[in-house]
Order: sequence, then C-alpha cells, then structure tokens
Amino acid sequence: MATYLEFIQQNEERDGVRFSWNVWPSSRLEATRMVVPLGCLFTPLKERPDLPPVQYEPVLCTRPTCKAVLNPLCQVDYRAKLWACNFCFQRNQFPPSYAGISEVNQPAELMPQFSTIEYIVQRGPQTPLIFLYVVDTCLEEEDLQALKESLQMSLSLLPPDALVGLITFGRMVQVHELNCDGISKSYVFRGTKDLTAKQIQDMLGLAKPVTQAQQGRPMQPQEQSFLSSRFLQPVHKIDMNLTDLLGELQRDPWPVPQGKRPLRSTGVALSIAVGLLEGTLPNTGARIMLFTGGPPTQGPGMVVGDELKTPIRSWHDIEKDNARLMKKAIKHYEALANRSASNGHCIDIYACALDQTGLLEMKCCSNLTGGQIVIGDSFNTSLFKQTFQRVFSKDLNGEFKMAFGANLEVKTSRELKISGAIGPCVSLNVKGPCISENELGIGGTCQWKICSLDPSTTLAFYFEVVNQHNAPIPQGGRGAVQFVTQYQHSSTQKRIRVTTIARNWADAQTQLQHIEAAFDQEAGAVLMARLGVYRAETEEGPDVLRWLDRQLIRLCQKFGQYNKEDPTSFRLSDSFSLYPQFMFHLRRSPFLQVFNNSPDESSYYRHHFARQDLTQSLIMIQPILYSYSFYGPPEPVLLDSSSILQDRILLMDTFFQIVIYLGETIAQWRTAGYQEMPEYENFKHLLQAPLDDAQEILQSRFPMPRYINTEHGGSQARFLLSKVNPSQTHNNLYNWGQESGAPILTDDVSLQVFMDHLKKLAVSTAS
Amino acid sequence: MLFVTKKNKTQHSVILSIVKLIILYRLFPLTMVEPPLLYVRNQERGWNDPPQFSYGLQTQAGSGKRTPLNKRVPAPLQGSPAVSPSLPSSTPPKMPPISASTTGPPPVGLTLLPQKSEGVMSFNSQPETEHHIDVQVIVSPLKQTLEACRDLIKKQVFSDISKRLTMLEEMWNGGKLSPPVQKRMSVLVTELRCRNWDTADEIHRSLMVDHVNEVSQWMVGVKRLIAEARNLPAETVVAEDVKPGDITEQDT
Repeated sequence: MATYLEFIQQNEERDGVRFSWNVWPSSRLEATRMVVPLGCLFTPLKERPDLPPVQYEPVLCTRPTCKAVLNPLCQVDYRAKLWACNFCFQRNQFPPSYAGISEVNQPAELMPQFSTIEYIVQRGPQTPLIFLYVVDTCLEEEDLQALKESLQMSLSLLPPDALVGLITFGRMVQVHELNCDGISKSYVFRGTKDLTAKQIQDMLGLAKPVTQAQQGRPMQPQEQSFLSSRFLQPVHKIDMNLTDLLGELQRDPWPVPQGKRPLRSTGVALSIAVGLLEGTLPNTGARIMLFTGGPPTQGPGMVVGDELKTPIRSWHDIEKDNARLMKKAIKHYEALANRSASNGHCIDIYACALDQTGLLEMKCCSNLTGGQIVIGDSFNTSLFKQTFQRVFSKDLNGEFKMAFGANLEVKTSRELKISGAIGPCVSLNVKGPCISENELGIGGTCQWKICSLDPSTTLAFYFEVVNQHNAPIPQGGRGAVQFVTQYQHSSTQKRIRVTTIARNWADAQTQLQHIEAAFDQEAGAVLMARLGVYRAETEEGPDVLRWLDRQLIRLCQKFGQYNKEDPTSFRLSDSFSLYPQFMFHLRRSPFLQVFNNSPDESSYYRHHFARQDLTQSLIMIQPILYSYSFYGPPEPVLLDSSSILQDRILLMDTFFQIVIYLGETIAQWRTAGYQEMPEYENFKHLLQAPLDDAQEILQSRFPMPRYINTEHGGSQARFLLSKVNPSQTHNNLYNWGQESGAPILTDDVSLQVFMDHLKKLAVSTAS
Repeated sequence: MLFVTKKNKTQHSVILSIVKLIILYRLFPLTMVEPPLLYVRNQERGWNDPPQFSYGLQTQAGSGKRTPLNKRVPAPLQGSPAVSPSLPSSTPPKMPPISASTTGPPPVGLTLLPQKSEGVMSFNSQPETEHHIDVQVIVSPLKQTLEACRDLIKKQVFSDISKRLTMLEEMWNGGKLSPPVQKRMSVLVTELRCRNWDTADEIHRSLMVDHVNEVSQWMVGVKRLIAEARNLPAETVVAEDVKPGDITEQDT
C-alpha cells in the first residue's frame, strides 16, 4: 500500500466506507482533541459487481449480547474447529457444515478480500414489490397529461410481478379498485377528515377474516394477495386496464373560483395510502409515490389556505413565528412518516410546481423512510420525466437498483462506542453494549431501519473512543467495526451484507504524525457538514455557523504548523490542505444558508445532502469547476472568480445544476460562427468538449440536475458567479488588472479574507 | 448574500439579455442533438431543462466512462490566486474588452483536447431512414400471434389486446405515428417472429420511454402480447412471413 490516498480509495471501493481518521487515537481524551469526530460514511449497498453473493447463512458469535458475524479478522483454530470472535473474544465452535475447513480450505467469509460479503438467506415468504401511486389531479391540463404518460410509461419499467395501486386526489380522495373486467370502481373519501388506520381498513373492506387468525397458521402469499387484490394488482395482469384508467384521469372536477387555490387533500390521501399498505402488506418492500403539483390546502396536513392572497409561508414568516399551519402540518406528516417507517414502507415525493408545494412540512415522509424527493417546475419537463425513469434503472446484472426494509446493525470493539447515525433512517431503539451516551445524530441504538435504499444511499456514523487516558493501546493494536445490513433485494430475496473493517490504534501523544497523515479530509469535511446540517434542521440556525467556525479554528490550532502570534508562518500539511476551503464553501452553501432559497428548496437540498455518497456530497459542498481551452486537456481550476477567463469555457457541477459558461472571447467567436468554418474545426471541438462531459454527468446523476448553458454577460451566468469564491469584487477593484478573472458584485467575504482571519485566530494565544 | 444584481442596467438591456438568452437556449439544444438519433427531442421544455436522452443511451450509462471530473485544486494559503497555477503562460495577447469586430479569430489547428471516441451505439442508433412501411407488415403478424394465443388467454384479455391492435392500425393509417416509431415497430415485429421475446420486450420499453405520447394507448397491448406469447408451445408458428402484397388477399 503506497499511500493513504490509495488505501482510502481501495477501502471505499471494496467496503463502501470512508473514515475521517484511518489511524485511531487510543484514548477518549486524545480523540476529543482531534476536533473532527471519529466517524465514517458508509454505503451499505455499494455496487460490487465482482462480489457474487453466497447461498448460505452467516455464522454468528454465540455470546447473546454479541452475535457478531464470522469475518476475516477472527482468529481460527483449524485443528480444534474453533474461532474467536474479534469483538468479544468469545471462543465459538464452528457449525457441523464447516467440519472440512483447514488453512487451505477456507470459507469465503474468512478470506481477507471478503471483508464485505453478501449472504442470500431463506427467511419468510417472498412478497412482490409494491408501488402505490398517489396522484394529484389539481394540475394544469398539460401537466396532468405529461404525468399520466410518465405513469403509463412506468408500467413498462416495473418488474412484471410487482403489485401496483392507484389513489388520486383533489378535493376528494379516490382509492381505485383495479380489476380486469373493464368496469372501474373507486372508493371516495372526503379530504377534510383524518381517519385512523382502522377506519380506513374498515371502509375499504380490508379487515382480515377472523377465521385465519384463529387458525393461527402463517398466511400464504396467495391469501395475502387476495386480501389486497382489489387495490393492489400485479402489473402484468392489470397493465391494460390501468393504462386506460390513467389515460382517462381528468382534472379535479370541482370548480376553482377566481383568487382561490384548488382544494388539495394531500394529507388525507397520504394517510389513506399509508393505512392501506399498513393493513394489507406490512413489513414488505413498498413505495408510496406521491405526485403533486401544489401545496395541501385542506384537511389535516394543510400547509396554506385556499385564498391566493395569503402566500405560502416563507423563511421570514417562520422566523417571525408567523407560519400558522406549519407545526400542525408537520405533526400530521411526522406521524404518517413514523407509521410508514415502522411498516417498512417508503414515501417518495415528486413535487412539480413553480411555487412551493409544502415540502418543508412533508419532507419527514421521505427523510424517515428513505424515500426520494424530486422537485421540478412541471411534470412536462425532461428533468422530471428522466428522473422518474431512473427510479427504475437497473444495474449491470439487470437487477433494479432499489432495496427495501433494511435493518442496519453496527458492532464495535470494546474501546469504541456508537454515538449515532445521520441519514435517511430511523432508530430501532435496540440497546446493546456498544452504545455511547454522547449522542451525535440519531443515537441511543445500535440498529437503524432504512425502509428504502439504493446503491448510493450513504449514512454517516459517529463513534466515541472510550479507552481511558494513559491506558495501554488495546489488545491486538487494532479496533474493528462491523456493519450487518439485512434487507430485501429487488429480486425479493432476503439478503444480509456484512462489512467488517479494522484500523490501527495509535498513541496520540507519541504518534500524532501517524494519526495526522491518516486523516481523510474529504470524509472529515462531509461528516462535519452532515452534523452541521443535522443541527441546522433540528436546532436553531445561526449557532451552527459559529460552531463550525470554532471547530475549524480548533482543528487548525491542533494540526497547523506556526509560530505563536505570527499568522504568516501558518502552514497546513497535505492531508489538511483542502479542509478549510471545504468549510468556507459549506458556510456559503444552501445547506446552511437559507437566503435566496424558499423553505421548500432548503428542505430539498438538505434531503439530498443527507443521503448521497462522499463524492456527491463533496460536489454539493464545493462545486467542481473545469476549464476548457485550446492549450491543453480540460483541467480542474479553482472555484474562484479568477478562473473566469475570456478565452476559456467553464463547466461547473454543483450536483443540482450543471453550468456551461463561455468566456467573453469564446462567446464572440461563437457568435461570429467560427465553429462552422472547416479551418476552425478545433474551435468546434472546443465548444463540443464540455457538452460531452456534461452529458456524462447528466446520464449518471440522480435526480437529474438543471442544465444551464450560458456565456459571459448572460443573466444565467449568476449560477456560476454566486458559487465562485469572490476573490475579485467591486470593493477591491484596484488589485484586479485587466489580466484575468471577473469581478463579482458582492459584499461576501472571500476565501482569502476568510483564510487570513482563520490564520490569525489559529495562531493567537488568546483563543 | 449570494445574489448578484445588475443595478445599472436599464430595463431595455435586461429585456435584450432575456431575448438573447432565449435564442441561446434554442440554439444550444440543437448542438446537443449531435449525433442525431441518440437524443429524443422534447419540444416543450422547462426552464433550464436538461437534454433528453434516449432509452438506449440511458441504459448504457456508466459504460465506457471517461475520467470522472472530480478533481479540485487547493487554494493557495498565501496571497490571492491571480491566475490559476497550472495555466500555460502562452495565452494569446489580451483582447481589448467588448466589440466583436476587434476580436481576433480563434487559433487555427491548436487542439489538445482528447477527442471523444464514438463508442456509444445502440440498437436504435442506425439511421432510421424514411421509407414507407406498410401497416399490415406490422399489424398482421401481431394479429396472428394473438390468434395463436387465443386458447391460452381469457376472452377479456383477447379482446383488450385486439382492441389495441386496432388502435395501432388506425393511428398508423391516420399518419399519427412518426417514422422512428414505425421503424422500431417493424424491428419489434421481426424479433417477435423470431421468438426473441426479450429483445422484443426491450424494444417495447424503448418505445414507451422515448415516444410515450405516441404509443402509450396501444403499446400496452403489444407488451401484453409479448408476455402471453412467451407461453406458446415451442412448435407454434408465431407469425408467418408476410409481404405487403399478400395482405389484402389474406384479409378478404
């Protein structure tokens, strides 16, 4: 292993894990002095096409409080057929089926290259995947038509045996019976009155026949599907009728008077969807997919009244405690989200409208259940259409990239405790010996539930070192963490993925340079950012920025090299060199700044930030900027106004937007039409290169980003100008010559000023 | 704080820039349409809408990836970043600002960009040339397949499928189906005849994704037909080879 960079990359590829520290400080006190907590970003279902799952049950440690899975770190006595658990040191007998093992005949889970291994196990009946569409009909004609077509299209992309159902809503909520005889029936509910799960099930006739319960035998799959058959049917059976049903969907027939919003019963519609699945198919993979074109305007979960003259709440209203309906609505959706999460069902929200749609209130439905949130201007955009298509995309093996009902358990060495997790999950409140009392994120448990996840879903885990100061380095010199993820694969198989990793302990007093060199600044930045965003969501706002600043200063004091009171002497080693600028851009990001964003937009940005993998998260924190010129291949450049040059094309990726910006001269050349002349073919290629690269990003990104094609002086250049570091502004005109760069009209602090302050504070003896 | 305002602009120039933008916006999608048939045109695009990729292009996303664009440059700790560090010094003489007429031409023959290899090809990327396809070449084999399935499926399903095949026929005759749809349907029928169910199903999916507004009403019948035909005993003749000329005789 040549460098830590290679080590980190290899670990991410093999195990889907990135730790902030790759050598661990061996005492509690020293660990807290590292400022950035010991933690990791973990992608439970990281795509591993090279990893064939094994077809047997994992072997567990026999100590009831441990139950860790046999892994390559365990010591094995091949003669006595015993293995020692590397977490609790219990000695275990191998099961009879392992009688033939020896040094040369090892099962896969003992080989070092299988630090991540996946088991296919036989547990319970296999139930088909369920997709319940909840469709708003208060849409413009054109929007509704586009949505109907997308839904019809999705029937071709769903697995043929998946169960599908349809609920539509406007002023009323309609639950559609699906059958093959061509007669459409539906149950109509008022949108103003909330119903309990029991009431919904009674009204829909879903109460389970008493006889079955009395007989006390497990229900057969056929009986289950019989129960739900009227509302949930296999795609291959009802595709034709459902296509017609969708095709015939009309806009909500209730007249909308002048100056009013349409009455939209989103709250009740979601409640019925959750109740329907809760009553019929709990604890099996299901997606409730909400498609809405505006805010809920009546009944429980209402976000704004129907009077158009009353605008929907803004950040200003929320700060002034003037958002009358917000708390009550949030309470309604949180209750639904928690019920849905305990049933193992996820809720996706596709909100397409120009104004806000109440995501701030509804976001918990997706955040707690692992569902997706997608926002767009209209259903009639390629942004929505293609994003929706990608929900059903398949991996290299032809399997859907979605998994359900994951139970993720974390086990740790004795010297390590789990503080918590941040991601699209809920706590399962399972107590155990490895839980820290200091909570970070969702803590107090060693198991979390993720109702829906895909190969990129990434959780942040935070740990606490509990070894006492001056105690010797723990036995074996290495600490270990095991992630055990049980889930329903898209093929409906039950699978268990086990990842076991180990890192060296080091004494921070004598071996600080080892710890320092093994710092993963990218993981560190994302872990700190997730904590910051989590705090911004759950606590009051402005303190988060101050907290981040304080942590950054402390980190620089600890790991910078400097003479006291001499800012010019300040240096950071390579492993920390990018960290301050990550923090600078994070402070300016829409995850912590709400200025110029609606509450819905902030909710949307934060939703994606809390679930993407490290690479994508980092793009969100500090967008990527590439420069294209005649003088070399495209190269990464500083996200800085000095990079905006006349003869360059810039490609910026902010995750949510892809911006292509033509420098002034390039734009003039294009206007003059040089690209059409054969002798300037190189110019044509130059124009094409960023488009090709942008296309590659667009093809792999979920959700589809906005795509902005602009040039020097174009109004949309603001997307670029608002992201770059304003090193040249109208305030320091004197030091930007005609040479380079573009001044930004802003009073924001530049990275240079930020760094100067940081250095001053870091070297100061006063702080 | 992030908001960039242009204070000194007149209303007029703001409108001009919007107009310019719209023109730009219209222009650029066109350059994106090259190579032509990998994209599907979306006429009614939203604000800053990304280009639409065809099903074939989407499904092969991820293969043949070039170097990912995910590198960053660390900001220098000292001083301000006057010019990005790795720039060659041989930048051409600085142009005086503005006025297109004074801007020199781009340098000739200079290119250090890696040329994109044309590796992306999909089954639908052959030029879909416009030659007339007779509707019966498409519909007759489908109807024959349906007839072969008659005993395997419920009467209701049979009539549903046949209703949709009629719909297909009517739309085709009414000129409501575009050449790409017609072409791809003929490939689908060929695959169906050869009992390549998976390929036929894949073509049906590509049509649903790329041309849903044209095909959504009847394609589901074809989809169902493909699914039902899979159950046909191996020796059953799915559909005989038909030539356009034969059709009228068979039908009458």
